[in-house]
Amino acid sequence: MTGRFEWVRPLVATCLSAVFFVPLYLVLANAFKPGDKISGSPASLPWPPTLDNIQAVLTRPDRLFWVSLTNSVLITSVSVVILTVLSAMLGHYLARSPSRWARVLTLVLLAGLMIPPQVILIPISDVLRAVHLMGTVPGLVLFNVGYYVPFGVFVFSGFIRTVPLELEDAAKVDGASPAAVFWRIVFPLLRPASASVLIFLGVWIWNDFIDPLIILGPGRGTTITTGVYRAVGQYQSDFGSVFALMLLATLPVLAFYLALQRHFVKGLTGGATKG
Amino acid sequence: MPPVPTTEAAPVRVRSLPPAPHRRRRRSTPLLGRLWHFGLFAAPGVTVYACFVLAPIAVSFGYSLTNSNPFNPPTRFTGLHNYAQLMHDTEFWTALRVTTILTLLVTIVPNVLGLGIALLLDRRGKFYNALRSVFFTPVILSSVVVSIVWSRLLDANGPVNEALRALGWHDPPGWLSDPDYALYSVASIISWQMLGFCVVVYLAGLQGIPQELIEAAALDRAGPVRRFRHVVWPLLAPALTVNTVVLLISAFKTYDYIKVITNGGPGAGTTATIAFNVLQTGFDANHVGYASAMAMVMLVIVAAATAVALRILRSREVNL
Repeated sequence: MTGRFEWVRPLVATCLSAVFFVPLYLVLANAFKPGDKISGSPASLPWPPTLDNIQAVLTRPDRLFWVSLTNSVLITSVSVVILTVLSAMLGHYLARSPSRWARVLTLVLLAGLMIPPQVILIPISDVLRAVHLMGTVPGLVLFNVGYYVPFGVFVFSGFIRTVPLELEDAAKVDGASPAAVFWRIVFPLLRPASASVLIFLGVWIWNDFIDPLIILGPGRGTTITTGVYRAVGQYQSDFGSVFALMLLATLPVLAFYLALQRHFVKGLTGGATKG
Repeated sequence: MPPVPTTEAAPVRVRSLPPAPHRRRRRSTPLLGRLWHFGLFAAPGVTVYACFVLAPIAVSFGYSLTNSNPFNPPTRFTGLHNYAQLMHDTEFWTALRVTTILTLLVTIVPNVLGLGIALLLDRRGKFYNALRSVFFTPVILSSVVVSIVWSRLLDANGPVNEALRALGWHDPPGWLSDPDYALYSVASIISWQMLGFCVVVYLAGLQGIPQELIEAAALDRAGPVRRFRHVVWPLLAPALTVNTVVLLISAFKTYDYIKVITNGGPGAGTTATIAFNVLQTGFDANHVGYASAMAMVMLVIVAAATAVALRILRSREVNL
């Protein structure tokens, strides 16, 4: 489909992505600008660049950044590891089980993909309060596991259907237990699906706002995302710190994305079914 | 935004799975063994899901039949009173209207623009891959960060209005402070963030189309427009399904942007979605019973909308 006007394509594409990129540029540039320049000329180049904002965020006396970073890393990594293991096993069970009620169970789980958190947050806060987990990291992790298990099962069970049964059968004939078959034979084959689940759930849980806001509550419990939200409320005038905090909150997830970019796109688009 | 990772033409493989005899063999394993298998593999995930999703929905339904308010006991059973009250609540109807407009815009705009940009970027090479990454980056950002950045950009005296003034528009509106524009501005912001998702899904769809089909159509003297209309577009049906359903579900529960950007305003609930009102009513005003009824109505609407959308979109899909 190369026509006479093919040379226009890169031109238009470049212009469009430049316009599209403006808000991202704004975060980058303003994190390195002194406060008065942010309100005065927000779109100007950060020249000469200053590290004052970043330093101010990193050395805050209440250690907001470090506390919320630790919380976010802990919550995200623990949730994602548990989710990968649980949903791989559950997905395998459902994809391989011949019974009708396994199919019903699959449907019930998939319905969970569309349930808005608002529908369940009120009762969940009651449940967590009853078991004294409201306002704690384990409480939020438990909620994450329950809420995101449908997505994990969805990815894994779809992928497992493309893994040949013969491998499992051969191991079973050799006398391996179901658990051994799963961990030694099946799970290593599921690596692309595991990558998708890790990546997507990692980004979602890192960026999650409403659930940590309500479950961790207004006390000292804060994640990096709710921390950014709070910083805006506290420092109406000091936008230098807000932009620096936003940049610092985004860097880990951006690095994660750039490192795993290939898998990201695959996971989004049926890489899961192609292997 | 739960992506549905089965965009491409996998059905052929799925159908060629090993046949049934194996399955019959599995049935004959002893009951105890099957229970053990279930307990080991399925029970942990199912239990957490049941405790944190299914049970709360049931509890929420229970609350919706009461006047529950933790700061105003005792809680009494009030039957369908909350639902009846909802039907006469103008605030609820406004929220429903806001949610519908927002969902429609956020489902349609990134879909249309995403398709256009995917067609533009549908070439191999490092250059186009880099541009694809530019469009995808907002997808991985937190909605809070996106909201804050755009609030600055669209501020009445922010960079956007400065630019518009420089271009000769002396009196541009406050995009987020004017009740006539706020909802559309928020919809644009969400569309900006979701656009890259649609681009990537459409690009994968485009790159999965066998080149022979397009060449065959070209040999039959179909121009670019007809090739798109009759070959490319029908084969993009799975990508359209994924994008529409993901956008529909995520737009319907819009909360973060509203909370950070407008807090439901300006004016009386001009940008307050149902999702926003549920949490304001439940946690800030403590009307747990009433908020639960709202949540139940929300659940029914999103389930119905998703089911209808899936049914229509799936029926368009063809298998190669």
